Amino acid sequence: MLSVKNIAKKLPDGRLLLRDISFDAEKGEFIGILGESGVGKTVLLRCINGLTTPDQGEVIINGDGNPKKISGKKGGELRRIRRKIGMVFQGSILVKRLSVLENVLTGRLGRISTARSLFYGFTDGEVGSALEALDKVGIRSLAYRRAETLSGGEMQRVAIARAIFQEPYLLLADEPVSNLDPKNTEAVLDYLKPLTQQMAIIGVFHAPRIVSQYCTRIIGIRDGAVVYDGSPTLSDATIDSIYGTGKWASDPSAN
Amino acid sequence: MGIRSIGELICVQEIVAVNAMMRYWKYLFPTGLFALLLWGGAAVCRVDPVALIAGVPQGIQLLGHMLPPAWKTFPELIGPALQTAQIAFVGTVLGAFLSFLIGLIAARNVHSMKVLRNMVRAILSAERALPDLIVILFFVAIVGLGPFPGVMALAASSIGMLGKLFADAIEEVDPKPLESMVALGATKAQVIRYAVLPQIIPSLIANTLYRFEVNIRMCILLGVVGAGGIGFNLVTSLRLLKYQEAMAVIITILILVTLCEKSSEILRRIVVGQELLR
Repeated sequence: MLSVKNIAKKLPDGRLLLRDISFDAEKGEFIGILGESGVGKTVLLRCINGLTTPDQGEVIINGDGNPKKISGKKGGELRRIRRKIGMVFQGSILVKRLSVLENVLTGRLGRISTARSLFYGFTDGEVGSALEALDKVGIRSLAYRRAETLSGGEMQRVAIARAIFQEPYLLLADEPVSNLDPKNTEAVLDYLKPLTQQMAIIGVFHAPRIVSQYCTRIIGIRDGAVVYDGSPTLSDATIDSIYGTGKWASDPSAN
Repeated sequence: MGIRSIGELICVQEIVAVNAMMRYWKYLFPTGLFALLLWGGAAVCRVDPVALIAGVPQGIQLLGHMLPPAWKTFPELIGPALQTAQIAFVGTVLGAFLSFLIGLIAARNVHSMKVLRNMVRAILSAERALPDLIVILFFVAIVGLGPFPGVMALAASSIGMLGKLFADAIEEVDPKPLESMVALGATKAQVIRYAVLPQIIPSLIANTLYRFEVNIRMCILLGVVGAGGIGFNLVTSLRLLKYQEAMAVIITILILVTLCEKSSEILRRIVVGQELLR
């Protein structure tokens, strides 16, 4: 469904951040990407949906039996691919002054004509399924509140509801739980997990322990290359190979 | 405390020197220089308190001519007063709308055409440097007398200030929602509509209302140079030496400006207050 082939990316200062990253992802997978801070996990996610252009390699997405290369695409063509890729960022991506419902509705902007959306032309059907998406993450009662009045955990759930409403076949989650307390972390991951029935999820995480519980597969990145790709059950030796010796144990949630 | 060492002695001398330096060069010298400039300036401008005091009886006499105000002319003034308010309203709204579009071009985070952006920024600051009266006279010259050049002049002179303020507000929006909408395939217009606009609405409304207050005062001036409104009545009655009528016009202007400022202030407090009290 998604294949990432030989991605390489240089930093503006010329340092090679990602050297050679390749992996495939299929529907049903919940892939956790692990690695030290600054190793380029976020950059990798951004290369997948084209927010960042890789220096080498290509990303091919194939959600409907019609493979499309993302690299080099622009304008309308790129937008048509992106409408099927959801993204949940670190921290809040919500427009704080819009209502929760309006924030969820923006999930389909990629599929709605500009003229219709400029005058708030959402159909009853769209509003209905946006409310349904909010129901799925348990915050339908907050639909008409302004986004800025929500707590961090609630905001992240709205972001997930937006991704559900978007109906992508690939969801990229950039540290979706890094600002949350343990209880909210579990809640958010519990809502993410069942989405793998409709899509593949690729998430960047910091705490290996959480990842082992929820993910179906782990990809470890060190020095710009994949050093581990396999089962979510991680041995200490594997964790050392991803994070370097002994460092992670004292501070597993660094950054 | 014991016997002072030579080192400490030097220290004391240093303190005395530094203190004297501060006294004379940091405070006395700048103060003296400022006083000299002020005195020189006043002398050149022939500031003369005696002439001012000697003029007081004349002032009282003029005020006497103006009183009582010609109350019966008030009904005739309602029309021009309303026209003044309408010129200010239409001019401000037109100016604010154009300023929003220009603000989008002048903001760093909307597009990547740097030359265009810098050009627009330069035009905006040039407009701000231009006295409003010159803008008004320019439009009177090209579209003639009446309320229309007034509307155009107010719109144009609003753009310099509002365009810059809107551009700054757009640059300060939280970039995350913008990028997340780009990531799901939204067009630029959609991103502006759903991520930028909601974030800058309070600043948009508050600054437009403030500009309306500035414009209503400027609009009085417009009438003086023949661009419609109540200012024209003021000039006419003064020229015809009808001082009592002039007083009636002045009172009408006071009421008009106060009413507009108060209502704009209340509206602004509703919009901005909501933000502070959330």
